Amino acid sequence: MSEFGHIFLTFLFPLTLFTTVVAFMAGRTHRESLYQASRNGVYAVWIVTTLAILALEGLLLQGDFSNAFVYGNTNRALPGFYKIVALWAGHDGSLLFWTWIITSFSALVVFQNRNKNRELMPYVIFTMMGTTVFFATLNLFVANPFDTWMQSMGGTMMPIAAQDGRGLNPLLQHPAMIIHPPVLYIGYVGTVVPFAFAIAALITGRLGTGWIKITRRWALVSWGFLAAGILLGGKWAYVELGWGGYWAWDPVENASLLPWLTSTAYVHSVMIQERKGMLKIWNMALVIGTYLLAIFGTFLTRSGIVSSVHAFANSGIGPAFSSFLLLALIASVVLIIWRRDQLRSEEHFESLVSRESGFMFNNLLFVLATVAVMWGTLFPVISQIFTGEQITVGPPWFNTIMIPIGLAVLLLTGVGPLLAWRRTSVESLRKSFGYPFIASIVLLIAFLLAGMRDGWALGSFAISFFVMWIIASEFLKGARIRAKNTGENFLQAMGKLTMKNTRRYGGYIIHGAVVIIFIGFTGAVFNEEARQVVSVGGSFEFGGYTVKCIDKGHTQNENYRTDYVYLELYKNGRKVDDLRPQKRLYFASEQPTSEVAIYSTLREDIYVVIVGESQDGSQAIVQIYRNPLVKWIWVGSFIMVAGTILVLIPNYREKRRPVSHAARARKEVNA
Amino acid sequence: MSSSNKKVKFTVGIGIIIVAVVALALSGFKKDYAYFKTVTEVYSMGSRAYDHQLKVKGDLVKGTVVKTGAELNFQITEGGQTMEIHYIGTDPIPDTFNNEMDAEVVVSGRLAQDNVFKAERIQAKCASKYEADYSGDAQASL
Repeated sequence: MSEFGHIFLTFLFPLTLFTTVVAFMAGRTHRESLYQASRNGVYAVWIVTTLAILALEGLLLQGDFSNAFVYGNTNRALPGFYKIVALWAGHDGSLLFWTWIITSFSALVVFQNRNKNRELMPYVIFTMMGTTVFFATLNLFVANPFDTWMQSMGGTMMPIAAQDGRGLNPLLQHPAMIIHPPVLYIGYVGTVVPFAFAIAALITGRLGTGWIKITRRWALVSWGFLAAGILLGGKWAYVELGWGGYWAWDPVENASLLPWLTSTAYVHSVMIQERKGMLKIWNMALVIGTYLLAIFGTFLTRSGIVSSVHAFANSGIGPAFSSFLLLALIASVVLIIWRRDQLRSEEHFESLVSRESGFMFNNLLFVLATVAVMWGTLFPVISQIFTGEQITVGPPWFNTIMIPIGLAVLLLTGVGPLLAWRRTSVESLRKSFGYPFIASIVLLIAFLLAGMRDGWALGSFAISFFVMWIIASEFLKGARIRAKNTGENFLQAMGKLTMKNTRRYGGYIIHGAVVIIFIGFTGAVFNEEARQVVSVGGSFEFGGYTVKCIDKGHTQNENYRTDYVYLELYKNGRKVDDLRPQKRLYFASEQPTSEVAIYSTLREDIYVVIVGESQDGSQAIVQIYRNPLVKWIWVGSFIMVAGTILVLIPNYREKRRPVSHAARARKEVNA
Repeated sequence: MSSSNKKVKFTVGIGIIIVAVVALALSGFKKDYAYFKTVTEVYSMGSRAYDHQLKVKGDLVKGTVVKTGAELNFQITEGGQTMEIHYIGTDPIPDTFNNEMDAEVVVSGRLAQDNVFKAERIQAKCASKYEADYSGDAQASL
């Protein structure tokens, strides 16, 4: 089967290259036959990539340990489900998976536009397939998952078949980790579609809002998947890594955050272009930047550039990625300069306090955040170049910059949507923000009196309350007016209102979710932790809880051995939960992992992890954390996804019935 | 409002935000930075090594891991030189830590005058995490 895979990949590379060239020629010559050929090329590329994926899945399921990738990422005892998802657990397989997603998206875009956008499409295909060529090259030459592993024996290389594989990294054997990579990859690859249309618009000179309208949903889908992927990654780290946190400003985490930041800037600033024809170059730059950062993110995750500059130079994947990024960057910049006359703004900013400038400050903050995260992530590389020494910055540095930016963005989340276009009068400011402002000041004072002294936490809670009030009143006000005009009941009116303008109200829901997530982040200010030695029958006090140790021991299955501690958690004398933290030793990989136990409420999480045992083995040592409000992050994540889905739904159109729609509705209510 | 007046306002607004962020970046840098070195590079720093927060990378020396309860001592090696590490942090010890593992370790902390490294954080990367290392196992299967 490895041979089949090799054949597919060998075929994929020239086929993708061919399609790219034909698509470009189709764009130049406007010849229908070439365009048809390039479209068929895209479908063919998708079929070949799918076959390659199926071949690799076949190898994984069948457990062909002569294949290096299968050997390195699975073993016989691994459950079948994990064998399937091992596809994206390792380096080579995940790059092939990347290729499969981009070819799938290409095929989807070609199908969606089979009768539309005839002018743009050849160059869209050209750009998407051009990106695919790069990944297909990596798949074939640099990171080929179909390579068998060879052993040097008496001077000759021989393929070896092992009895069993090394197993899937146990840290990856978790549901969140199973969906986290595909979700993030869809987010990454989704950025390619708006980029491809932007490039097509630049090449053809069709620089109106056409390309923006076509790609609006793609940009949002990619944005939503990036957000969900990042949050899932945080969830995975929290429940699986056992250090009590969900985010550490690790380079790999930052790599996923970067394109999300620019993408967030774009989904906002694009509204100004649609409405006022402003910021055209800026939007172009954001789309291009998001694409480059998505590729860069894949590269950062896969090359090890930050953890070690030396590994980067040696891996072979580094120079390939750098060249590709540089090429894409230069081509984009040249295109923008070439078309700069057509990208002039049609209008100008009129007032510092207006919707437009709200968006502009939002963009400024997101771009500064991007620059800061990038600077901090690459600081070892930058300092190496300038001082010859690698200097790193850690979480405190990132927090110093990102917390203020985050709070400023949070404030804009509430204020921005209520500012009027062009300029906002003092009177309307007072009307929109007067009550929530007073209310949040009252809350601030209440928290101060209650003894809260942390400035950031006070600021964050006050702003969150302010923004939430504004969002809620938008829904309530709108529903009240609609209910009065149509005779619908209040909830019905709110539902209809939302469905009639999904973009606006879905946006509010996403903003509300952001507030909830920020409240969750803020809880970290009040984290507590302690280390405890526990013996069966003993108990200790922690964070307002009593923890009793009931049992301690070990069990075993075919995949791993487990040491466990069984604790009971009491609050005010009442038992609230059982906690069973474990330490597992996986046989195939000989790797131990910690399984944490979490008692989670909206108020706080109690999080326990086994860190060791006493010398004679009679007592266990546990680390216990009290992490307030963490659950709000996960709740907010779900709401955010729901809001994003709502934004993607087309507006519901009411059938116009001029005759007493309201009267009829009233009748229905009465009946 | 005249158009030049507007421009000034916008420029000032944007300027203040940018200056604020740069100021934050600089103040954050004073609070938190570390030299990222390998074991041999630390030793070649001379007395400077004692003055800065360091992140040191090396391979775990098998058989040197001594766990006493939640206490941990071990050695890392790189380029033929080894360094004694004493873990003083509060985070749980990474799971990869035991005497049989091939692991690359990055420790964060300071080098004490007795040349024992006081580590506040330990990151361990199992050698097989992403790139499978096939040496060793091959013999076993033959």
